[in-house]
Amino acid sequence: MIAQLRSELRKLTSTRTSAGLLAGLVALILFGVIAGAFGSEADLSLAENQRELVGNGSFAAVFAALVGVLAMTSEFRYGTIDATFVFTPARERVVAAKALAGLLAGTGFGALGAGIALGAGVVMIRARGLDVLVGGADVRRVVLGGLVMSGLWAVLGVGLGALVRNQVAAIAGLFAWVFIVEILVFEQLPAVGRYAPGVAGTALTGDPVGDSSAHLLTPSIGGGLLAAYAAAFVLAGALATRRRDLT
Amino acid sequence: MVASISLSPRPLSAAASASTSAIEVVSTERLTKRFGSIVAVDDLTFQLEAGTVTGFLGPNGAGKTTTLRMLLGLVRPTAGRALVFGAPYCAASAARVGAVLEADQFHPGRTGREHLITLALAAGLPAGRVDEVLELVELAPAGRRRVGGYSLGMRQRLGLAAALLRDPELLVLDEPANGLDPEGVHWLRTFMCDFAAAGKTVLVSSHVLAEVSQTVDRVVIIDKGRLVKVGGLDELVHGTSTLERVFLELTAGKP
Repeated sequence: MIAQLRSELRKLTSTRTSAGLLAGLVALILFGVIAGAFGSEADLSLAENQRELVGNGSFAAVFAALVGVLAMTSEFRYGTIDATFVFTPARERVVAAKALAGLLAGTGFGALGAGIALGAGVVMIRARGLDVLVGGADVRRVVLGGLVMSGLWAVLGVGLGALVRNQVAAIAGLFAWVFIVEILVFEQLPAVGRYAPGVAGTALTGDPVGDSSAHLLTPSIGGGLLAAYAAAFVLAGALATRRRDLT
Repeated sequence: MVASISLSPRPLSAAASASTSAIEVVSTERLTKRFGSIVAVDDLTFQLEAGTVTGFLGPNGAGKTTTLRMLLGLVRPTAGRALVFGAPYCAASAARVGAVLEADQFHPGRTGREHLITLALAAGLPAGRVDEVLELVELAPAGRRRVGGYSLGMRQRLGLAAALLRDPELLVLDEPANGLDPEGVHWLRTFMCDFAAAGKTVLVSSHVLAEVSQTVDRVVIIDKGRLVKVGGLDELVHGTSTLERVFLELTAGKP
């Protein structure tokens, strides 16, 4: 299992995909923080708006999910899955190692995203000549919540990739679900929508959308639910991978 | 020719003495695979002995690839068994088998050397082994370039390098000469002969008979998923008869 994990980690670092995602993550979060500090109507002298600004790091979860999905689907896309399974016939071990590698990489993405958003956010608040009202509890929530959320999304991405296999379908489906279906359901029926994986995970860092944060689950329940979704996807993905023919 | 099947794994050194004590490296027993209503492999039974190069022949769509994939555990048989070293493909057989299934199964953005390292790590092999096999397939200078820039011949060699990482006793090659230039085909032939001369076994599929007729000791011929002929090359081809003629007689002459 350790050997397979090392192999999967090497796969992540030996193409430019991860570096590209990392660059995209840094760019998007910096853009979000700068736009939030200078481009928005929100009154940045209020603590809640400052919290939202430094919470931009939760975007990292999107990139972490992509790391997970791509780790699995690129093997099918480029055919390397054959060699992977000829070398490691216990296919569920491959899926598990990818999930673990995803957890590590995703956690790293989450930590980086939270750190950048925090650092840049504080710089921006000061640049506006305002007092920094973000406290230690906020920092803990943003950093810890952010890295747990990203780690879990990478794991869920591996499971989703194993189930769907087709790269474009997996990514399109993921984005359509998280950014359209979940948002709509949560807006119309928050009592239901808050149990969906994306919204449940959002409880870990607080609500970037604003008003509806009162409907979110508590961080521990939301995080636990996202972890359960991630585990379920990996389990389903591993079972499907074990059974399927590779023709 | 049919030896008994041992269920216990043989010691690695057994392959060296294989030329004298016929060992069943590969065997299929009434192997069948259906995809929906299509029967890809139909009640196929044959055995391979160690130290031979066996040509696995048949027209396109005969079921060769499906059979090889069942031997490697990638496709699950509908019925029957596909055995490698006496057992269905598993971690123990993985350590003794190398395979090249398609010419181009690489991430184009990964270097050849990194591709091999990911596999070596999974197998618990040191990076030094990666450089050894790169030398062996004469790909060392290109190893640090991305596979996207490789020619087809270089990709074939990289696939072979991956198959050789674990120093296998059995090499499974699916249509390895597809798209190779004459020089590449010659190189591959020499390689297979040297490999078998060391007491190891090669199972090489092809639909182009001329490719393998100079290399193989034995042939397994299938058509429409069914076994047509198993035997030594010398049993099949006598006098002026070419393997191609034998093949056409065997496959086309059937009702």
